[in-house]
Amino acid sequence: MRHAAVTYGAALAAMLAAGCGYTPPGKPNPADRPRTPAQITDFDFLFQQNCTGCHGDDGKFGPAPPLNDPIFLAIVPDAELLDVITNGRDGTPMPAFARRLEGPLEEDQIKIIAEGLKKHWKSSKLSEDKLPPYTVAAKDEATSTADTEAGKKVFARACASCHGDNGQGSSEGHKPGRINDPDLLSLMSNQTLRRIIITGRPDLGMPSFAEDDGRPGDYQPLTSEEIDALVALLASWRNQPRSGATVTLNVRK
Amino acid sequence: MKQDSPMMQHLKHAAAWCDHRLGISEVWLPMMRHPVPKSVEGPMGWWYVFGSASLTFLMIQILTGIGLAMVYVPSASEAYESLLYLDYEQPLGWFLRALHYYAGSGMVVMVLVHMTQVFLQGAYKYPRELTWVVGVFLLLCVLGMFFSGQILRWDPDAYWGLAVAGSMAGRVPFLGPVIVHTLLGGDIIGGESLSRFFTLHVFVIPGALLGLLAVHLWLVLRCGVSKPPRPGESVDPRTYDAEYEQELKNGVPFLGEAMVKDMLFSALATIVVVLIASILGPKGPTDPPLPTMGGANPRPEWPFLWIFAMLALSPRDVETFIMLVFPVVVIVILVLVPFVSNRGERSPSRRPVAVLVVIVTYTALGVLTYLGATAPWSPKMHAWTGDAIPVSMVERSNVSELVGSTVFQYKNCRNCHALDGIGGRRGPDLTDVGTRLTRDQLIDQVSNGTPGGGLMPAFGKQITPAEMTILVDFLVSLRPEGTKPAGWATPEPSLGEAPPQAAASTDDRDET
Repeated sequence: MRHAAVTYGAALAAMLAAGCGYTPPGKPNPADRPRTPAQITDFDFLFQQNCTGCHGDDGKFGPAPPLNDPIFLAIVPDAELLDVITNGRDGTPMPAFARRLEGPLEEDQIKIIAEGLKKHWKSSKLSEDKLPPYTVAAKDEATSTADTEAGKKVFARACASCHGDNGQGSSEGHKPGRINDPDLLSLMSNQTLRRIIITGRPDLGMPSFAEDDGRPGDYQPLTSEEIDALVALLASWRNQPRSGATVTLNVRK
Repeated sequence: MKQDSPMMQHLKHAAAWCDHRLGISEVWLPMMRHPVPKSVEGPMGWWYVFGSASLTFLMIQILTGIGLAMVYVPSASEAYESLLYLDYEQPLGWFLRALHYYAGSGMVVMVLVHMTQVFLQGAYKYPRELTWVVGVFLLLCVLGMFFSGQILRWDPDAYWGLAVAGSMAGRVPFLGPVIVHTLLGGDIIGGESLSRFFTLHVFVIPGALLGLLAVHLWLVLRCGVSKPPRPGESVDPRTYDAEYEQELKNGVPFLGEAMVKDMLFSALATIVVVLIASILGPKGPTDPPLPTMGGANPRPEWPFLWIFAMLALSPRDVETFIMLVFPVVVIVILVLVPFVSNRGERSPSRRPVAVLVVIVTYTALGVLTYLGATAPWSPKMHAWTGDAIPVSMVERSNVSELVGSTVFQYKNCRNCHALDGIGGRRGPDLTDVGTRLTRDQLIDQVSNGTPGGGLMPAFGKQITPAEMTILVDFLVSLRPEGTKPAGWATPEPSLGEAPPQAAASTDDRDET
């Protein structure tokens, strides 16, 4: 009898102790405390709300160039990341995110994203020294004929097998489609072109400047000058007359 | 017999003195023991528990409300912060808020169930018409408490709820401006508006509610509890009183099984509400009260979602009618119920119209509430930067289509148009739009929007020709693998090689 009483007493005490330490699921979690948009300083949340729409969940498999890309993060200068997120890229669908330019983010939030990209996804295995520099030679569109001619040779060696002899597209292998389209090229900056040539699209199967997937057997990694020549060639296609493809807007009054 | 101790004698004397002055055993006890029809003791008596459950929730509301009022600061600059203090710092403050919200919700549910039971069982008929009418106004008080309570949260839901209420009131002919001024404590929403709603929530509406409740309870005592209905027993005002008096001669005291049923059900309802409150936690406050926040997604509280949906889905011309005339019509109909039918059968099995009215009303309210909760007509403000393009679309896209989809996001198309079900629902989901519209039709739709000033704005002046071309490349590509774009004509053998029309209509762009 006494034994039973002790057992029940102990059980009751244990239940009470458990009850005191128990947190009901309805108790608000301090981490969920509401914040103004300007108070959010969490990289994952900022990235999800502002970047995934174009750059994809987890920074890849989006339509825009992946940010979770080891080569890109190895070569892109910190200042460039900060500048592009702040001011956007003129003429392209990359918008300015700074509040002073009518964007949604405060300057310190932009800094959190810019710095967070490398913190989260940069690989320590890749050294910047062995990669071509990020910055393009000709930011504007001025290119010389010599560059374009050199570009054609590089194109035949490094790009034509997938993109067609003149960038008109090819049915072989992956489906890259036509890249000599002036409308398409007018929405891509020279810097973006250089970056894509260097990094490829690892998420979508486009090889980087150094990989020989789908390229001739004697393929050698492209040099920085060759990449600039390619950019010059693509930039020259941008200025081609449009082949009747331009849309005429039919704005009703 | 053992003599009481002097202490006990004094106590008994004091109790008798109080009883004599207060009339407890003379007036109150007989009142509690008032007879109710015998069949209330049976299983039918369980239909009679919802009114007392509403009363139990009211008690919880008063107690939790007092607790909350000790911490809550009814000032525009501190109200929101004081709620955060309750949620995150005050021990069990969050539970107090949660219980106040869910017991309030429970009160609305119980009042509605109670009214539905009274309606279905014809308990509002002679001589209980006035009990019903007072009940209708009690329902309005409970809804008024819910609305004014939401305003006290002082978050975007509250702010915009007030803005909508203000602009609705502003449409009242002649008196509109005066009502708005009185309601908001000025011409615009500000600190005074919060003070007004605090006063409404804590003094004015509860005062009216308790007054009406006293009348309601007195009427219940005075007219007696209705007998559970049986098919074939009909109410005739000429003979009802005598029949009911006869019924009560075989009646049982309320202070017996009837009360036990009430208490058991109220206890169960309280346990359910306490559990819900501790599992779901307090409601809001949502984002901080910044009227400039473009991404705010305000919603009215659940008892008002149906009217929110009705307003959103109705043509503009009938808005004022729904805001001002419709509620009055509903209230008048509810008040008139016992006067339109105050005699005849009470059993639901003999009153198909009443049953049908209940089914139709609750179905309509349910559907509208669901629509109000999902609000597919509201744009999703973060979709363009936050909702990724589905990976399957990215993987099958060519370069133009990839850049086209970034233009799609950049131009905020996603805020109204979902892809694979993700994104805004204001416009159609565009996952298969390439099978429905040709290149030309897409260009026309994007440039000019919906004809006649419809839902979709015209983007023609906000988009460059290059962006349009690339965007439409992407839209045309939105179709299941292997299907042809809309407008693709299969060559007829007799005519030789007919050109594919969709591809050739505007340009020579690659359609494969």
